[in-house]
Amino acid sequence: ELLTNISNESFYQTQDDAYDALVACYDGMQIATGGVKESFYTASEVGSDDCFGGTGISDGYNYQVIDEFDISRAPSYTDLYNNIWINYYRAIYRCNVLLQKMDQITWDDDNARAQYEAEAKFIRAYSYFDMVRLWGNIPLVTEPTTDNIPQSDPDEVYTVIAEDLLYAAENLPDEVYSSTESGRITRWAAKSMLARVYLYYTGYYSKSDLVGLVSQSDALDHLEDVIASSGHALVSDFGTLWEAADVENYAGENNEEIVFAVKYTYTSNYTGDTDGNLWKVMFGMRGLNQYPYGQGWGVTVNSKLYDLYDSGDSRRWATVISVDDEDLPVDITAQREYTGYYNKKYTPLLTEDGEYPGAAAGGDSDFQLNQMQDYFVIRYADVLLMASELGSTNAQTYFDEVRHRALGNDYTQLTVTQDRIMEERHKEFALEGIRYWDLLRQGVSTAANTIGETTTVYSGGVETTKTIDGAQITATQGLFQIPNTQISLSGGVLQQNTGW
Amino acid sequence: QEKTTITGTVISAEDQMMIPGVSIMEKGTSNGTSTDFDGNYTITVAPGATLEFSYIGFISQSIAIDGKTKIDVSLQTDTQQLDEVIVVGYGVQKKELVTGANQQITGESIAKQNTLNAMQALQGQTAGAQISSTSGQPGEAMKVIIRGVGTIGDATPLYIVDGVQTGDISYLNSSDIESISVLKDAASAAIYGSQAANGVILVTTKSGKKGKARITFDSYYGIQTLAKEIDLLNAKEYMTILNEAYINSGQTLAMSQEEVDQLGEGTNWLDHMIDTAIMSNYSLGISGGSETSSYSSSLSYLSQEGIVSGGDLSNYDRYNFRFNSDHKLLDGRVKFGENLSFAWINKQGISVGNQYSNGLRSAFNTSPMVPFYDANGNYYNTISDSDPWIAGMANPYAYMVYTNQNHNDNQRLLGNVWAEIEIIDNLKYRTSLGLDYNSFSSRTLTPIYSLSTYAYNNQSTVTQSEGKRYSTLIDNLLTYTFDIDDKHNFETMVGTSYYHYNGSSAYGKNVDLIYDDLEHAWLDNATNTDGALMDIQGSPENENKRLSYFGRLNYNFDGKYMFSATFRADESSQFAEGNRWGYFPSVSAGWIITRENFMTSSDNWLDYLKIRASWGQVGNQNAGAFQYLTPVTYSNTNYIFGEDEGVLTPGAYPLRLANPLIKWETSEQLDFGFDARLLNNKLNVAFDWYQKTTKDWLILPSVLATAGANPAWENGGNVKNTGVELSLTYRDFIGDDFSYSVSLNGAYNKNTVNSINTDDGIIHGETGRLWDNSPEFNRVENGHPVGYFWGYQVAGVFQNQDEVDAYGAQPDAEPGDFKYVDLNGDGTIDENDKSQIGNPNPDVTYGFAISLEYKGFDFFVQTNGVLGNQIVQSYRNQANVYNNNTTQILDRWHGEGTSNSIAKVTTDNRNYTEFSDFYVKDGDFLRISTVTLGYDLSRLFKKDNFFADKIRIYGSVQNLFTFTKYTGMDPEVGFTDASDVDGDGYSDYGFSTGVDVGFYPRPRTYMLGLNVSF
Repeated sequence: ELLTNISNESFYQTQDDAYDALVACYDGMQIATGGVKESFYTASEVGSDDCFGGTGISDGYNYQVIDEFDISRAPSYTDLYNNIWINYYRAIYRCNVLLQKMDQITWDDDNARAQYEAEAKFIRAYSYFDMVRLWGNIPLVTEPTTDNIPQSDPDEVYTVIAEDLLYAAENLPDEVYSSTESGRITRWAAKSMLARVYLYYTGYYSKSDLVGLVSQSDALDHLEDVIASSGHALVSDFGTLWEAADVENYAGENNEEIVFAVKYTYTSNYTGDTDGNLWKVMFGMRGLNQYPYGQGWGVTVNSKLYDLYDSGDSRRWATVISVDDEDLPVDITAQREYTGYYNKKYTPLLTEDGEYPGAAAGGDSDFQLNQMQDYFVIRYADVLLMASELGSTNAQTYFDEVRHRALGNDYTQLTVTQDRIMEERHKEFALEGIRYWDLLRQGVSTAANTIGETTTVYSGGVETTKTIDGAQITATQGLFQIPNTQISLSGGVLQQNTGW
Repeated sequence: QEKTTITGTVISAEDQMMIPGVSIMEKGTSNGTSTDFDGNYTITVAPGATLEFSYIGFISQSIAIDGKTKIDVSLQTDTQQLDEVIVVGYGVQKKELVTGANQQITGESIAKQNTLNAMQALQGQTAGAQISSTSGQPGEAMKVIIRGVGTIGDATPLYIVDGVQTGDISYLNSSDIESISVLKDAASAAIYGSQAANGVILVTTKSGKKGKARITFDSYYGIQTLAKEIDLLNAKEYMTILNEAYINSGQTLAMSQEEVDQLGEGTNWLDHMIDTAIMSNYSLGISGGSETSSYSSSLSYLSQEGIVSGGDLSNYDRYNFRFNSDHKLLDGRVKFGENLSFAWINKQGISVGNQYSNGLRSAFNTSPMVPFYDANGNYYNTISDSDPWIAGMANPYAYMVYTNQNHNDNQRLLGNVWAEIEIIDNLKYRTSLGLDYNSFSSRTLTPIYSLSTYAYNNQSTVTQSEGKRYSTLIDNLLTYTFDIDDKHNFETMVGTSYYHYNGSSAYGKNVDLIYDDLEHAWLDNATNTDGALMDIQGSPENENKRLSYFGRLNYNFDGKYMFSATFRADESSQFAEGNRWGYFPSVSAGWIITRENFMTSSDNWLDYLKIRASWGQVGNQNAGAFQYLTPVTYSNTNYIFGEDEGVLTPGAYPLRLANPLIKWETSEQLDFGFDARLLNNKLNVAFDWYQKTTKDWLILPSVLATAGANPAWENGGNVKNTGVELSLTYRDFIGDDFSYSVSLNGAYNKNTVNSINTDDGIIHGETGRLWDNSPEFNRVENGHPVGYFWGYQVAGVFQNQDEVDAYGAQPDAEPGDFKYVDLNGDGTIDENDKSQIGNPNPDVTYGFAISLEYKGFDFFVQTNGVLGNQIVQSYRNQANVYNNNTTQILDRWHGEGTSNSIAKVTTDNRNYTEFSDFYVKDGDFLRISTVTLGYDLSRLFKKDNFFADKIRIYGSVQNLFTFTKYTGMDPEVGFTDASDVDGDGYSDYGFSTGVDVGFYPRPRTYMLGLNVSF
């Protein structure tokens, strides 16, 4: 008899059980997105034109494989994403189990049932959307099973995503975001996510609607609803969104602009608790602990990103750490692919006392573990720019609102166009895990042409030529490597993506 | 003719004790008597008669009376004697009639090796048992594999001490052991059914004998040192290699040649880690008995420091107390008694685990450029250093000191009380209640320290854990022996056994201590009140219950033809209803050919020959608990809602999949063998061939991620072990004073996995075990031995660009890089070119011993060794160019023609971050494990009725020398990677053996000792 665990047979009975099971779904999402260094965020940024693989001079070349879409850079790294592949399916499993048990649970009120079901479905959709973007061809599991499932047509996956998000958009409470406990999924998050899925799917797959379930006007309607009714707004100063950019005036993680974030905190450890943001440490400067920056493993930022911004654009210094501008003593001999620039939005921090903030708050003293910065999935600025892109009658206003906040006194109005929206999105959302997918939804060739480049970096202090061959992105269709372990375990039922 | 009356006394030649019960027969008649309690006898015989003196365990003597009226006899002990009994499951059996394959080692030959752990003394003495150290740290368990690895889980044999089941005997004092029997084939072990698949080791502790009280005192004192050093680069060599790596990678010199030339030795970290260490032991024993009662008791103390840190951090103290007695009531119809052993163990140790938790490993990696102390005499802190060959490095000795402050306190009580009633003649009922009770507490302290940017602790931390585990065992046996016409001899036994294991433990952690030292490391010394910084855990052990029924029939015809059958049925709580019962049969037969008349012609050279055959099935249930259920867990499951960091909301989810079909693993074994004595009983031979097939293998399969949860254990596959075993002992004497014996044993085993029921037929090894982010390097797969090493074959080193171009398969390689074999010939080097490049399982285990005695002097040599296995040696964490290297790297390629076996050094370590046979070394060795020379001082006083029977002093060296080509400090790497990923309490990678990531070596010990008995 199990004394410290409940058996599966006696659980999933009460509404309290259902709540606990729902929290486990959130936890599954937290682990899938934040518990592994080679995460969705890492792939999105290193794969984009904004970052290079970087890392240590004597590290393996796995980050170059990600960066250059080229397995020959380190042929033994055939399992780059095995951990997140596993963790996403674990999150989905938790959702599937709860959704399967809905009918056997005794509900105290039916609103709770609808809400929990909506949240679980959102988490499942969110997980599948990350996966289907990364790998394109994935097994679709909507009920717990141990069967050896072949990869599905992406349309089938998008159908589940769209249905789940539609359910969430209809069943979550219709109330301003601040009425909901922060961290919980809102109706507005579901509606905004639906628009993002719509834009990516119709762009990447060149379709006119989202698998027959969501049209362009549907997607826009959802966004207009968010703008009209959610209570979200832009914070007034872009820099205050990012703690490293403005420690004094940091707007915090629950500010009005955050439509949806995956939350992390400092309670991770090496004995099983995975509550933190583990990938963030990849983007810190190697060996450099200087307030407000804590050390990391040195994924570097392309100098083109720094150059993208006008000097009066507040987003330049809020987005990019410039080693020269800030006069930072970085040891470049230990750094591969050094450019002089690092990620400021998601960089590890240090307190004024020289402590790691997570450790200072009571977390594990390991600087890799205690990173607690939430990942902002959708900001209100994104809602505005998506609505603008989808042809809102207020397109110009929304576009101006975002630019005005960023440029302040240097602001002059520009007439909204699709190209300008895409450029603005790059500036606004750089290093937020969005840029790569914005490129890809403009077509694989656009992504290949933009990301492919030959430039000069410093590895171990030595000037070296860095080449990203756009043909590799074309060859892989911008999709990432399916973990070889899973292909092997499936006995060949799973197929590797072309180009890998 | 007048008869004469003869009187006399019979004593034992060994200890000069009177022997009661010796049979004295007038040769050729049925006239006879036996000695009384004081060894005296009186017999009336015909003149010119010859007397035959015989007693179990002694060589019989025939003496013609030759006109004498008083004949005193001194009998020589004879371990080869025909009536020798050996311990088998639930009883004893005459050795000559045994039909299974087993081997009994006497306590004497264990005690004389002076090992902390009795199993270590069995090394080289038991054919077919591969025994190796899991670590050289005092008190760490021995790894024992009997007849090859048959499971990928826990391969530990079942230990039965005085009838009580336990998991390890390292708590036992060797001088308390009467004998150890190793049951190897299924016929011997099947009476233990579901527990016996990995073999059974039966330990019997000493019991008293009739006669006057006998007091023994044994003591030794030893000094332990490192047996073999390993050379790391000194500062100058280190910077030279680093400079070369910089140059090879297109960078400028790390340090100018002038500066390098002025460097000296730097810090030799291994020297700082290793120290001489003390080992000592004191044992006092008293035994004796009367006609109706006998007793044996002992008290002992053993202390052993570890050579890593020399006792400051690695130390083992053990106190043992034992009391055994038995009593006869009602004219011997009823007997009762008890065996109780208590052990109190205090130990502290450094971590001896994998690369992330191994106190010694960092000494291999830390740069010799890092100073040991700073200017103030404190441990050096590299936090303000910027030279990359110092920055980030931590003084490994200081790190070990700070992170290995622990104290463990264990108490163990193991024993039983029993009673036996002879209901009618030869029908006996025996009942016993056994207990194995273990309580443990441990405390650790981590002080505030700072050694580098990565090695620091800002809050003093204490942990304290307390717990107990206990198992009870209730056995009931009914035995009946009878014969028909004196020719048909039957021994029958039926019994039941009930086993129950339980326990609990609690753990707490808190920070901010009032006192920053281990002595004060108790939870109450922590001042912190913030719950987020505390950790509290408490849980019961996974309870396990078992109910068993068993029976045995032994039959022999005229002591010539033997047949035996056993059957056991076990019901275990480990499995779901419907799968709980397991049935374990065995049969065996033997034929003593030398008893046949037609063999008389060979009497002059062949004294005894028995051939035997056996077949049986035994089981294994060592899998995670409750695998037939799916537990819903709250642990590690939570999310943060709301505004406050660190405030968590708990959640719950089904932890893993369930396998309601899980059942026993079954090991089926066939054995053919013979036992023989030749040349007037001087040469003893035992031979066995066996085939052991483990079916319904309990494995933790790798599951597809889409299942969404951890797998459950399942019965998935089978493995076969086939082998032969041979033991030879030759014993003789020259003249009256010189006796000698030479023994040799060896075993060959071949291990092959036949099937694994997963989609890819592979159980994958772990990544990141050899260095940070190292690839998978070992696995279990069809057609290969368990845990084989899997990687690239190196075909040499590219000497120049032409060779690279000509090869083609590695277009990006440079001269000086490793050339890998393109096994499938497809023109690229990838995973498909990886193959079996090593096997951690030895083909052969062997040992020999020589023992000499001459006029009170004794000399003894014991050796042990293995052949045919490989070891993966990975001391360097290749993720960092600044890590130190062994001097092996001095032979690297550094220009055409300089090396074809060791690639060039580069800052990215690219030649060393792939797993290839570069890392695989042969592990063959032969170790001289014990050499002892002793002298019995009592011989000098023998004539004068000296108070003591024996006062032996001796000198001994353990681990004197090891013949091996292995370059590590110790080739006997018994470390098993015990990582338990799913937290079910069982190692998920038990097959991962033969990996040296900085193995704590066994010390060499020089000791002086004393044995007194009177």
